[in-house]
Amino acid sequence: MLKKFLAGVALAGGLVGGAMASDSPYLTGREQLLMLADDNPAELTLWRGEELFHEVRGPKNVSLERCDFGLGPGVLKGAYVRMPRWFEDAGKVMDLESRIIHCMKTLQGFTDEDDPVARKHSSDTREADLVAIYTYVASQSNGMKWNPPMNHPMERLTRNAGEVLFHRRAGSMDFACATCHSTPRKRIRLSFLPVASNVEEWSKAVSWPAYRIGHGVVRTSQHRVRGCYYQMRQAGIQFGSDASIAIISYWTHQAQGGVATLPDLKR
Amino acid sequence: MNKQNNIVGHTLIAIGMALVSVTLMAGCAQPRPDTQAERDFSRLSPEAYAEYLIFRSGSFNLAQETQEGGTAADRMAQDVLQRMCSEARNRPQPEMAVRIVGAARDSIVYPEGGIQLGDWRQGAELARSGTGFRIGHNVDDHSRPVGGNCYACHQLDPDELGFGNLGPSLAAYGALRGDSEAVRRFVYDMIYNPHSYFPCTQMPRFGVSQFLNQESISHIMAYLLDPQSPVNVRHSR
Ligand code: HEC
Ligand code: HEC
Repeated sequence: MLKKFLAGVALAGGLVGGAMASDSPYLTGREQLLMLADDNPAELTLWRGEELFHEVRGPKNVSLERCDFGLGPGVLKGAYVRMPRWFEDAGKVMDLESRIIHCMKTLQGFTDEDDPVARKHSSDTREADLVAIYTYVASQSNGMKWNPPMNHPMERLTRNAGEVLFHRRAGSMDFACATCHSTPRKRIRLSFLPVASNVEEWSKAVSWPAYRIGHGVVRTSQHRVRGCYYQMRQAGIQFGSDASIAIISYWTHQAQGGVATLPDLKR
Repeated sequence: MNKQNNIVGHTLIAIGMALVSVTLMAGCAQPRPDTQAERDFSRLSPEAYAEYLIFRSGSFNLAQETQEGGTAADRMAQDVLQRMCSEARNRPQPEMAVRIVGAARDSIVYPEGGIQLGDWRQGAELARSGTGFRIGHNVDDHSRPVGGNCYACHQLDPDELGFGNLGPSLAAYGALRGDSEAVRRFVYDMIYNPHSYFPCTQMPRFGVSQFLNQESISHIMAYLLDPQSPVNVRHSR
């Protein structure tokens, strides 16, 4: 049923594409998804995330309100579109998901074994706290332009290594990310592929968190990176690893100047 | 060429070892969190840092066993073709293109007794299926047949709606071209190693990587070329 619905959307996108404002079949398909859905179910996740963010939790009995996402403790507006970035206190370039975990550990005293840190992704039966908090913090950048800082040398090296990784072919299928995200107007099966050099398409493509209709839950950037390496038949990438942050740094920088949709709705 | 690659490889390994030992020493003196700040990456090129990220930063689960019998680290290591095409951003200069085509031709192993067509019904399944060789968080079980996922990139049976277009349409492929020795050989070469005609193509090397075995290739070829196959039947009538 859901598959049929998605197929219908993809085909309709192909047929009426010319009549829509954008001539990008990827973006036209997205617009139709948004029109067909009454609400974005990610709103529920966002509200839960807001509560969790302000709730006094963990061994140290504090909220996340003093967490610094790069613009100063507690500043959420526009913080996400300016990540990944260098954090002096951690001595690392971090993306939003790693930064939330950092604050859960340092401010709230959670450990790697505690469920709020250990559970990285949601399932049908259980939504991860991390995903909810991520959705709330990200939503505070909705409608803003992606603009990750490139001042610190590690920010630049991380982005540049991400570019190398993006083009690096390896594995049983000889794939690189570039194999599927370089040629305009192409599809894998029924899915139109966003092109990394097209800011309009790419700023939408990297708009995570998104409620994924096919999964029935909200997904994150880290989840997308894992899925892409999985489909490429390459090694399993570790959550929050430096390589995953390099990919996210490059993909965010490619979206620079394009508008972020947070949270988004995806297939 | 080979020698040069070896030198580059060794330099990278040397840099990597230097990095590792710096970290180890820092770790002995004073247990501290593993941060980027305490290592000096500033002299690394993006390429060298990317190699470090893949092989020595703990970013990938490299120890995981793969279906073909090695580890995930082997999957991440590039062979010559993968490296050349990545560096050339898949647009090789003419001289390199000629070299790639030559090496690709040499890589092709033909079945004993010539290229035979198998059973198009099994070929249809294999052309649809995207199962095979995935590792990471959900390892593909190879007691099920490994598919070529041709529909991800190609139209084949014109009645099938779920097809991609990264590659050209292959609908009515046999009906339009026939089933001569030359056609069979071209299709076989394309499946085995498509760089023999299209250097740095997006299409995988299904034979070289042993993603598909000889039997599967023969079934998929029947799906493309057999006049009874749904790929061709509508056009032939
Ligand atoms: C074999 C083709 C293929 C490869 C290789 C590939 N992707 Fe994708 N990518 C897809 C498909 C298909 C989608 C889903 C589009 C959809 O659902 O409409 C996608 C989606 C995405 C999206 C989100 C866009 C969306 O609308 O869902 C991003 C970002 C992305 N890929 C990045 C990458 C990165 C980074 C890599 C390399 C690590 C990569 N891709 C490798 C095919 C590929
Ligand atoms: C990741 C995408 C992809 C997949 C998967 C793929 N192909 Fe291709 N294929 C291509 C591209 C792209 C071309 C065109 C060559 C080029 O320009 O690089 C092509 C070309 C071909 C051609 C030559 C067409 C012609 O006459 O010019 C044949 C035959 C072919 N593919 C068969 C297959 C078969 C059979 C499978 C499944 C086992 C398959 N392909 C899977 C991308 C793909």
